[in-house]
Amino acid sequence: MRYVLIDRCLELDKGVRIRTVKCVTRGEPFLRELDRYPPTLVLETLLQTGAALARVTAGGDKRSFLGKITEAEFPAFAQAGDRIDVLVEAIQSRPDGTMLHGEARVDGALVGRAEFMIGFLPAELVPAPDPKADERRRLTRKAIGLPPVEEA
Amino acid sequence: MEDNEIISKVTECVANALGRDEEEVKLESVLSRDLEAESIDYLDITFQLEKAFGIKIEKDELFPQKIFQDARYVSDGVVTADGLAFLEQKLPYADIASFRVDPKVTAVPNLFTVSLLVNYVKTKIAA
Repeated sequence: MRYVLIDRCLELDKGVRIRTVKCVTRGEPFLRELDRYPPTLVLETLLQTGAALARVTAGGDKRSFLGKITEAEFPAFAQAGDRIDVLVEAIQSRPDGTMLHGEARVDGALVGRAEFMIGFLPAELVPAPDPKADERRRLTRKAIGLPPVEEA
Repeated sequence: MEDNEIISKVTECVANALGRDEEEVKLESVLSRDLEAESIDYLDITFQLEKAFGIKIEKDELFPQKIFQDARYVSDGVVTADGLAFLEQKLPYADIASFRVDPKVTAVPNLFTVSLLVNYVKTKIAA
């Protein structure tokens, strides 16, 4: 769970939008010697949130990957104790990928914004099923509150 | 839509997707060889064209993957007559006539030029 940077999914409208929350705590290894939460991790939360939306929208046993980040800005920093509210919306969806726009806010103030592309691996590149990893992913999704991925 | 407008919009899409200046994008530019497009860029170009022209591009319609899975289509690294017929059917907007002169399978990526994209968009808009 260490590198899952979403604490909870609040809303997922398949193919349209997803809202998640990431709470920043002093106990995180990234904050042991820093006052400011690294913007790259805000970006990672945006990307993980977008990938979750794209994955649920696509269904089946697809594997997603980050294709491109076409725009990104981080006008302010989050700090320990902050709750980061994330909203990611699909701009364009195709069977082989999705373009998304996401914003991360703390108390309404923008701390991160990005436009990015999530692609799906062609079927021949999808690794063979790994029951242990699949179960780990299923439990993680359940813990976050993400809906199960439907069969294609 | 006028041809010039289509060319201008396609050029903008390719430049955006590949992080290039529009002046670098010529009709004859090969996406991979001249503009250094990588696999993920083809998906980006597809997104850009769909948005710019309000068209729907089916998976594998513009950039078909695994074109030559069938052994009948390639022999000793050269595209066979059956393969050329398949290419013409799969990519009717590509310059297959020029490709026929030296139909090496390694030259297939060179079919994917900016001009191909323009012809493709024209076909889609006319449909």
